[in-house]
Amino acid sequence: MKTVIDAHNISKTFNKKSIPVLAVKNVHLHLEKGEFVALVGPSGSGKTTLLNLIGGLDKPDQGNILINGIDITKLSANELIDFRLHNIGFVFQSFNLIPVLTAKENVELIMQLQGRGKREIKERVQTLFQEVGLSDKLNSRPAQLSGGQQQRVAVARALASKPQFVLADEPTANLDSKSAANLLDIMTKLNQEENMTFIFSTHDQRVIERARRVITLVDGEVNSDTGTYLELNHGNSLI
Amino acid sequence: MNISLAWRNIWRNKTRSFIIMTSVAIGLFAGIFVLALYEGMINNRVRTVIDTEVGHLQIHHKQFKEDYDPKFSMNEQQVINSLKSFHQIKYLSTRTVTFGMLSTTTGSTHVRINGITNNAENNTSKLKDKIKEGKELSEGKKNGVLIGKKLADKMKLKLNNKIVLTFTDKDNNLTAGAFRIVGIYQSDNTPLDELNVYVSKNVLNNYLNLPQNSCNEIAILLHDDKDLQTTKEEIQKKFPELAIETWKETSPETNLMVGYVDEFSIIYVIIIMIALAFGIINTMLMSVLERTREIGMLTALGMNRKKVFLLILSETVLLTFVGVPLGILASWLATIYFSKAGIDISSFSEAAMSGFGFSSIIYPEFPSDSLPKVLIIIIITALVSALFPSLKAIKLQPADALRQ
Ligand SMILES: Nc1ncnc2c1ncn2[C@@H]1O[C@H](COP(=O)(O)OP(=O)(O)O)[C@@H](O)[C@H]1O
Ligand SMILES: [Mg+2]
Repeated sequence: MKTVIDAHNISKTFNKKSIPVLAVKNVHLHLEKGEFVALVGPSGSGKTTLLNLIGGLDKPDQGNILINGIDITKLSANELIDFRLHNIGFVFQSFNLIPVLTAKENVELIMQLQGRGKREIKERVQTLFQEVGLSDKLNSRPAQLSGGQQQRVAVARALASKPQFVLADEPTANLDSKSAANLLDIMTKLNQEENMTFIFSTHDQRVIERARRVITLVDGEVNSDTGTYLELNHGNSLI
Repeated sequence: MNISLAWRNIWRNKTRSFIIMTSVAIGLFAGIFVLALYEGMINNRVRTVIDTEVGHLQIHHKQFKEDYDPKFSMNEQQVINSLKSFHQIKYLSTRTVTFGMLSTTTGSTHVRINGITNNAENNTSKLKDKIKEGKELSEGKKNGVLIGKKLADKMKLKLNNKIVLTFTDKDNNLTAGAFRIVGIYQSDNTPLDELNVYVSKNVLNNYLNLPQNSCNEIAILLHDDKDLQTTKEEIQKKFPELAIETWKETSPETNLMVGYVDEFSIIYVIIIMIALAFGIINTMLMSVLERTREIGMLTALGMNRKKVFLLILSETVLLTFVGVPLGILASWLATIYFSKAGIDISSFSEAAMSGFGFSSIIYPEFPSDSLPKVLIIIIITALVSALFPSLKAIKLQPADALRQ
């Protein structure tokens, strides 16, 4: 199996009004290609901080984070931006899209930033919108879409760059249960059909149930890990 | 995509963008219109200098201007004959010039005495048009004199009064003559009106002991301003022993003014733009601040700092430039209108204007020559204004920005 994320002993402290807050504490995290992982824990337990660290949006105070074999803690700020563009797909909790761009343009933007050709962009946009079931909303502005539709566009955008993995911080937090289920359906399908790796944070029980692996954070520490991909697939593992 | 994104972003807050665009348009209108006024004033002044004061070119004996000694004269017939082949010359007049004292029973003053012939002078300096009271000098040997209104007021002189002009002749003997005021003239240039008096050249030559075909000054009016330098050079070649001056040399203060006003008006535009820059910076900073999350997200997704910088920069430049065509159009229309109607500022500054030789009615001229400079100033304004907001935008840390 191919290792996508390999984080060793990472910690992050914030100094809030000079009172240090240890948001992530000595976390080890190992993700293989094709995993579908939920990061759970109460509010303030460090989910966002951990996702920011492995997404290269923030730097840990200690530890290494290897993405596809590259230690992103050693990258300069500019290298990191470029690394994110080509390796990591992001879905945020809300306001994911640029309001002045249409759904299609929001997705195209990423590929344009990557410098992909016009033809490729056009074809890929068609495919992605089909996959998230929004082929009829290509030219809608975000404001004309429901919250669930916006998050589906965000998923399409996250996949547009052909990343190593998709990182989603509470993607269903602002959705009703039907839209949430629908979004999870799409993510599950992409995981199964395209072997796309997903790691998402949530505190929604129905969403947690959909995960194949659940990592629980308490006070910045990994409290439980329901098992790795390898363990879950023990029966047919090659190792 | 970047430009299109920038363009759409500036329309997100219509009111705010509209205020900036209107301010730029109004500022530009004000700036260009003032330039047009200066341009009109200066061109008018230059025209006056050329057409009614000094002509395009003046010819003197090389030493004449050292202390205006009338003995440094030229044979006018000889020069005029040689100049006949210069087709670019429209008119010329020959003058005998000396400085002296004008005295009345109550006082005296320093004047420049110009010996002229009516026809030639009416062509080159339009003297006849400037006469407000009385008439031209009569031909022949009569001692008539034309004085300026300013001088008449100062010396309390009226038409038909007698004055005495005292000066030295070509052999340095003091000589004096009584003259009767036959006319009072007035131009746009009061200092000159106070200084210059006109008498018949024949009469003056007699007093100075100069032969009738002698003169000290030849003023030349050309058909076309463009021939100024080349004609000067050609004449110089023909008469290496004479001094040939263009109006820029004869009236250096006018030439200096042309340059000064050019600079001054550009400074004026810069001041307007500095004021506008504060508005633009403020607006763009607000715009960046409101989009903190969005810009943080773009950075998170992988838009590099150069592109973020260019995005905000393009937005600022677009925002600034939308108002530009409007401002230029408005000032162009206003200039066209007033270039026909004229703007009469006599009610508040006639004395001041004519004191510097300016007409009190301004006919603005669109400053096409300055337009590239103005546009460059606007571009610089936009770029400088963009700097601060753009730097602010690239300093955003995605993790912090997204937390908002
Ligand atoms: N930028 C920050 N500055 C100060 N404290 C922070 C910052 N980000 C997170 N924290 C603190 O770190 C802890 C973990 O926060 P977070 O990762 O957002 O948790 P979660 O996403 O699980 O709710 C919290 O106590 C939070 O207040
Ligand atoms: Mg969170």
